[in-house]
Amino acid sequence: MSRLNETDIQGFVLRGYNMPFARYYFLRFNAAVAACGLLKRLLPEVTTGQRWDNGKPDSTVNIAFTFHGLAALELPDATLLTFPVEFQQGMRKRGAVLGDTGLNAAERWDEMWQGEPVHAWLGINGSSIEALETRCAQIVALVEASGGAAVVGAQDAAAIAIDGAPTTREHFGFTDGFGNPDYLGVERKTQPGQGKLMPDGSWAPLATGELLLGYADEAGELPVAPVPHLLASNGTFMVYRKLHQNVATFRAYLDEHASLYAGGKEKLAAKFLGRWQDGTPLELSPDKPDAAIAQDPSRSTNFTYGGDADGTRCPIGAHIRRVHPRDAFGFSGRLINRRRITRRGLPYGQAVPEGEAATDQEDRGVIFMALNANISRQFEFVQQQWIEYGNDAHLGNDKDMLLGNHGGHGKFVVQGDTSATNPPFVCSKLPNFVELRGGDYFFLPSITALGMLAMGLVDPR
Amino acid sequence: MPNKSGKVYGLTILSPIIDDASVTPSHDLQIRKYLATLSTNEGSPFAIAPGTHLARIVVMDDVIYVGMPSCEEHLRSKYLVLESNCDGELDDYLRGLAASVPEQMDAIWSHCVGYPGAADHEAFIGYMKACQIETTFYFAAVNDRSVKETLRALQTQRAVADFVASHQGVEPVQLQREFLDFVSQLRSEVIPPVGSMGPRREIKTGGRNE
Repeated sequence: MSRLNETDIQGFVLRGYNMPFARYYFLRFNAAVAACGLLKRLLPEVTTGQRWDNGKPDSTVNIAFTFHGLAALELPDATLLTFPVEFQQGMRKRGAVLGDTGLNAAERWDEMWQGEPVHAWLGINGSSIEALETRCAQIVALVEASGGAAVVGAQDAAAIAIDGAPTTREHFGFTDGFGNPDYLGVERKTQPGQGKLMPDGSWAPLATGELLLGYADEAGELPVAPVPHLLASNGTFMVYRKLHQNVATFRAYLDEHASLYAGGKEKLAAKFLGRWQDGTPLELSPDKPDAAIAQDPSRSTNFTYGGDADGTRCPIGAHIRRVHPRDAFGFSGRLINRRRITRRGLPYGQAVPEGEAATDQEDRGVIFMALNANISRQFEFVQQQWIEYGNDAHLGNDKDMLLGNHGGHGKFVVQGDTSATNPPFVCSKLPNFVELRGGDYFFLPSITALGMLAMGLVDPR
Repeated sequence: MPNKSGKVYGLTILSPIIDDASVTPSHDLQIRKYLATLSTNEGSPFAIAPGTHLARIVVMDDVIYVGMPSCEEHLRSKYLVLESNCDGELDDYLRGLAASVPEQMDAIWSHCVGYPGAADHEAFIGYMKACQIETTFYFAAVNDRSVKETLRALQTQRAVADFVASHQGVEPVQLQREFLDFVSQLRSEVIPPVGSMGPRREIKTGGRNE
């Protein structure tokens, strides 16, 4: 595997920018000619994966398209019909597959997702609120001047600040954002536990084709991708989901059940997630949080579940064990190597410190964005089989405690042992702690492909 | 005994479908039409007759020619395929089908060559066994338990989980008393009907992900 061409890949794909402020604009294109004109103007603005040797910029811009957006750009039909079916359908139509029903049904999504489909996503990150506002004003002016698209929605997101400093906490109080996978050819700071597990217990990068189109994946196959190859290569697919968090419901549920749980509230919360609130993995420190582990990159993601088959340290249904089971299904972890996703995203809405009154109605949650080469095989599989179902983990119909679409039913079992502070415990009548408020599937093209789109040069022959 | 995995029998039956150009619609289409109306839960003939863990009926038209360099081949007949994971001995299982759901068996298999009807149980058994293909490398994903044992276990698991969830933190004396009541009540519960314990899943199944 030679080194990837970082100048041809959107920076958002290769790295989390680690900027505390973001705004996501959603566009609907006007006539194709004008829309292509807009893309031409945006092209020099788009942040690539090129390393920031001359200092980190104070803002970034990235762009992605829905299937409807690509159709609005008048891509040839012979190209459009080669996109994967789930991308052509879009997230709304995949609701039945994803379990986006009931409280998560599309009819309940934000206004922006009703009516005519969204065509494009513009993701802007800023190192400060001023830098974000400046860049956003510039980009919006550029969009308006071009006449190529209308801004039909905007979503602000920002790291939750504690004592004025941005953190990686989310609204339930957990530290988030550990452990995106490593991929061959992607240069970044790496740490054990972030790639695929090898038979000798070491960790190695996943095949590039799990993230990027045009490269071999873990099965040695090229991911399903549109023609021509040049349009697909160095691009990927993004899943965008606005996940509303019912903070009041979460806190009340935790309080109510913690009063019956001998391990205490802090531990019960940790059992839900699989990490203590500071991020310490239960697997490595089952009795108490340990900042020395949580903040040590060589340890914070470096664990397996093989020594905890009964889930007495980290419950079998804990969130992080469900969505990244590591070796929990045996076969040295090989069953999960084609189910990995790269996560981006930030919280949105005003944080409410523990102890202050919160309601479910207030607009807060997480903007979840997943990057993967194959939405069906990777994101949708994780969502359907590991979040909304429990069979792979021998948990029957139980769903993910935190993300599951429970509708007041279902249960979560905290496995335990005979010690006084780690008893078995059952959480039942689960409410929806998280509700879906909208989203879609996007194609994040390479810089070359963006140029092809802008110039109307996509030729499937 | 490659047809068995532990206590569970892996049954494959291929019955040639009658090829009669004078019949409209053709026999295979008549089978498809009937199968489309069959219940897949409590009302399924395989739920009514005893001993089926899971079963699937398929109309096999032909082998598909995929183009060069493979050579073009065809089956000599269309076939009705029955796959079943069932309990116990084959004769008993087939006799149970003939005795419990003869109308359904006849409605399906009367379109097959040489089918004698379900009324004569021994003839029915003999016909099915003549159409049987030996199962090889059989793996039964049912923990080597009978259908009844599985249903009882699911019922118990659900009841115990509910009991635990609703009794956490209860004083030991009260807990013991209520647990004993619970156990005696559970023992007297009837086993739920086949097909009634399946997941009430809201999400679509049968996608490429499964």
